[in-house]
Amino acid sequence: MNTPQPPAWADRLLKGLCPPALQEELLGDLHEQFADQVAEFGVRKARRLYTLEVIKFCRPYFLKRRTAPFIKPSANPVSKTAHRSHFSDERQPFFLQPDMLRNYLKIAFRNLWKSKSYAAINVVGLSVAFCICVFLFLTSYLQLTYDSFHQDGDRIFKTYLFSNDPEKATRSANMPLPFVPALKADYPELEAATRIMSGRKSLVEAKGKYFDKLLLHTDQDFLKLFSFPFLKGNREIALRDLSSIVLSENMATAIFGTENPMGKTVLVGRDADQKQYVVTGVIGDAPYNNSSIQYDALVRIENAPNYQNNKDQWNGHFYTVYLKLPPQVDQASFENRLKPFAQKYFSGALKDLKEKKAQPDQRGDLFAIRLQQLSKVHFDRDIAGGKGTPIAIVYTLLGMAFFILLIACINFINLSIARSFTRAREVGVRKSLGALKNQLFVQIWGESTLLCLMGFLAGILLTYLLMPQFNATFDARLKLEYMLKPDFVGLILGVFTLVTFVAGGYPAWQMARFNAVEVLKGKLSMKRPGILRNSLIVTQFAMSCLLACCTIIAAQQVDHLRTRPLGFEKEQVISIPVGNQVDGRQVLGRLRNKLATDPAVLAVTGTSVNIGRGRDRVSSRTSLGFKYKGKDVATDILLVDYDYLKTLNIKPVAGRDFNRSYSTDSVNRIIITESMAKMLGEPKPVGLFMGEDEDTTGTKSEIIGVIPDFHLYSLADENRPITMHLSHSETIHYIFIRVTPQSLAGSMEKLKAVWQEVAPQSEFMGTFMDANVDAWYQNEEQMAKICSLASGIAILLSCLGLFAVAMMVIEQRTKEIGIRKVMGASIPNIIVVLSRDFVKLVLIALLIALPIAWFLMNTWLDNYRERIQISLWVFAGVSLSALLIALATVSFQTIKAALVNPVKSLRSE
Amino acid sequence: MQKTMGRPYLGEFEELVLLTVAVLDGSAYGVTIAAELKQRTDRVISLSGVHIALYRLEDKGFVSSELGGATAARGGRRKRLFGITAAGKQTLSEMRQVRNELWESIPNPSWS
Repeated sequence: MNTPQPPAWADRLLKGLCPPALQEELLGDLHEQFADQVAEFGVRKARRLYTLEVIKFCRPYFLKRRTAPFIKPSANPVSKTAHRSHFSDERQPFFLQPDMLRNYLKIAFRNLWKSKSYAAINVVGLSVAFCICVFLFLTSYLQLTYDSFHQDGDRIFKTYLFSNDPEKATRSANMPLPFVPALKADYPELEAATRIMSGRKSLVEAKGKYFDKLLLHTDQDFLKLFSFPFLKGNREIALRDLSSIVLSENMATAIFGTENPMGKTVLVGRDADQKQYVVTGVIGDAPYNNSSIQYDALVRIENAPNYQNNKDQWNGHFYTVYLKLPPQVDQASFENRLKPFAQKYFSGALKDLKEKKAQPDQRGDLFAIRLQQLSKVHFDRDIAGGKGTPIAIVYTLLGMAFFILLIACINFINLSIARSFTRAREVGVRKSLGALKNQLFVQIWGESTLLCLMGFLAGILLTYLLMPQFNATFDARLKLEYMLKPDFVGLILGVFTLVTFVAGGYPAWQMARFNAVEVLKGKLSMKRPGILRNSLIVTQFAMSCLLACCTIIAAQQVDHLRTRPLGFEKEQVISIPVGNQVDGRQVLGRLRNKLATDPAVLAVTGTSVNIGRGRDRVSSRTSLGFKYKGKDVATDILLVDYDYLKTLNIKPVAGRDFNRSYSTDSVNRIIITESMAKMLGEPKPVGLFMGEDEDTTGTKSEIIGVIPDFHLYSLADENRPITMHLSHSETIHYIFIRVTPQSLAGSMEKLKAVWQEVAPQSEFMGTFMDANVDAWYQNEEQMAKICSLASGIAILLSCLGLFAVAMMVIEQRTKEIGIRKVMGASIPNIIVVLSRDFVKLVLIALLIALPIAWFLMNTWLDNYRERIQISLWVFAGVSLSALLIALATVSFQTIKAALVNPVKSLRSE
Repeated sequence: MQKTMGRPYLGEFEELVLLTVAVLDGSAYGVTIAAELKQRTDRVISLSGVHIALYRLEDKGFVSSELGGATAARGGRRKRLFGITAAGKQTLSEMRQVRNELWESIPNPSWS
């Protein structure tokens, strides 16, 4: 049939809503109007209007008449003949009648009011569970949607180099500079490819003001590849010129305020390196916790330091590369087509691997260029150098949220079932008066839904109130507006529906099934053994104990990693970021003069790289790759000043430290770490000269000392050998000062005062190095905090449930307790009798949880090179505290019950 | 139900619908009434509202109805055709008279 039809579901809705006798004329009118509207507005709009029209039919006028027999008004006798033949008396069992619904609601509120403690426990439990779930869901939602806002994200890839080294197969996303131009020349079908180099923050000068901003060096394709919103200027040509700069919205506002920044100039860099750029565009800020790529401004990569030297260098691997494949090309086929490219340009690496007798992996590659999907970039710690969140943690968070919800649901089910016995009579009476099973189900389930809704709303309110607290504690920067994203709202509503179905549906179904006769005879009362209830309590406690054990063991492991020796002495060292406003070298000189006579200061030095994370939050890394006697060598380059080894208390294993008395130390003399010596393949490196094989004209660097390996970067980062050099021309970014242990307390204040004299333009941002090093493990620590919070809440909720169940059970056993007391039982006896059952349940829960915890954590710990051994004390402690907490919870009720005068409890009823 | 002046109360919308039924004389049913009102009053008129008004008018005895006149656009369904009753006509004319009297009692006739 070709004539357009209105939506069928709307018709069905109308048929469900309207009195059957009116259906013909109403549907007829609606369809006729629909046909008119199709002619007038087109099919789409007509269908929309039709749906709207049908929804307008959902009014009490029609709903009421759906079942109610039509009551004839005592109207004019004139029309009586024709009157209302079309409302028939036909009755249908329709349980959503407005009058009945009103009755249900009234009964529901009366019931809740009658049992306030039960309602309160449920609402509190559910709201806490919902609140923590929203936080956990929000955190993991933001993680899982990382980088998902780019258009065609499934076609954007990060490239990485895979080499099947016999020692350890490695994957590295650091690509050489000439890689992208060569790639674009060889594969013209690529839609876009860009290099990205993000370094330290640079000094930006504009309108006489100074700013420290993160400058991203990249290619023109960056704007084509990523869909960060372009606010001003033309996306196509914004980075066409070498002197163009594209500012982020944030930076544009910071510098120019409300002025139009387009065409204005900014100066980047300092002194001789200062370069002038013209603003050619403004781009939206990268979402802080949703984007792998962060920037304050973009400039062409040709402006990067040493670009001219490195642009044909295939050995220096320091740039991230993203590319966008054409729609019809898939990842695997493009990886295959990259094989000849890898052989052509990375022949050196291939040769080395062959010399090491490397075997091809299962895909037949010794060395290959591979692609990683943009959506996976954030989660790959191996490639990304430890910046991402491991996906396992995200799933752990989701799992915890699920556990907590489940525990809250179990509480709800337990309480509802326990209460269902007290309401059995009502069900019996309703049934005998003709209530249908469906009707009863809807009524009881509706009551649970009402409770759930209250819990849910309270939870949302709680989330809203606690959001700033949560953000401050976990540095999470969650915002309420994230919660309003449609898919997140859908998720939360889905969870809510699920909870009402699981928690409310089961008890309602149980109750609706009660046999009316038996209930009214009183047969059904307390005879059920409550196997379901007990197993739910066991499940609940098992989950809480599992969470507690895992949290403690994980925290121990993180702590173990943190206290691992780093190869230097981090205590009593103060690290001061110099900032870009002043010249670090001059400040260092002045500081040395000032502190030279101070007995509390042991050593002062300067360097280019901070150890740990200081108040400037900056971490930078300079690496160098070259060929030494035919070998590929990659090393971190570290600029130091005199006394670096003394300040960090590192003892050379061979050779010596830099010394002022050797005038040539500041030119081409280096100190290397032991692993560097191993990489060079020199057992006695002191006195040797190191340099690029092909470079015969340049001067080579003499190795004057070898030191033990130390951790310049966090344990999560790739550990490379280190080469230290001394230079009078390069910039010093950090100053380290070692003080004596006795003077540690006041030294920070003292240094601050000295700093204001030597560098008045610059803010003092000194911190203790051990605190900085701790900051490396901030992520892990925050995770540990979130996990302990979650497991704490899980335990709390379980106890809440236990408390309520104990309350109900003891209420039912009031008479028994009275009789026991009359028969001479002492108060402790009664407490033991009442607590025994609950202790048994907790013991069973422990028996289930502990082996699972042991197995899971053992598997997890195996991922670490340095792992702790699981101590039995953890399990003993968790068991003991679980028992004690359960006992304490129950004892509140048992003691109260045991103290009651038996006369009262026996006389009741 | 409220009573005014000894007859069933008539709301403003009901009055409009009743008048339209009289205007359409014999071909008045949901769609035509809604269309007529839409065209004349420039208001948003929903079918459900028109139907409720019609059923209420019928309850009050101002209109009578019969089924008939199925067309293809209606999917072969019959329509309920409404006609104004004597009581309806009388009420309308009573209301008109009251209004006229009120208009004439306005002290300054040039006001409109």
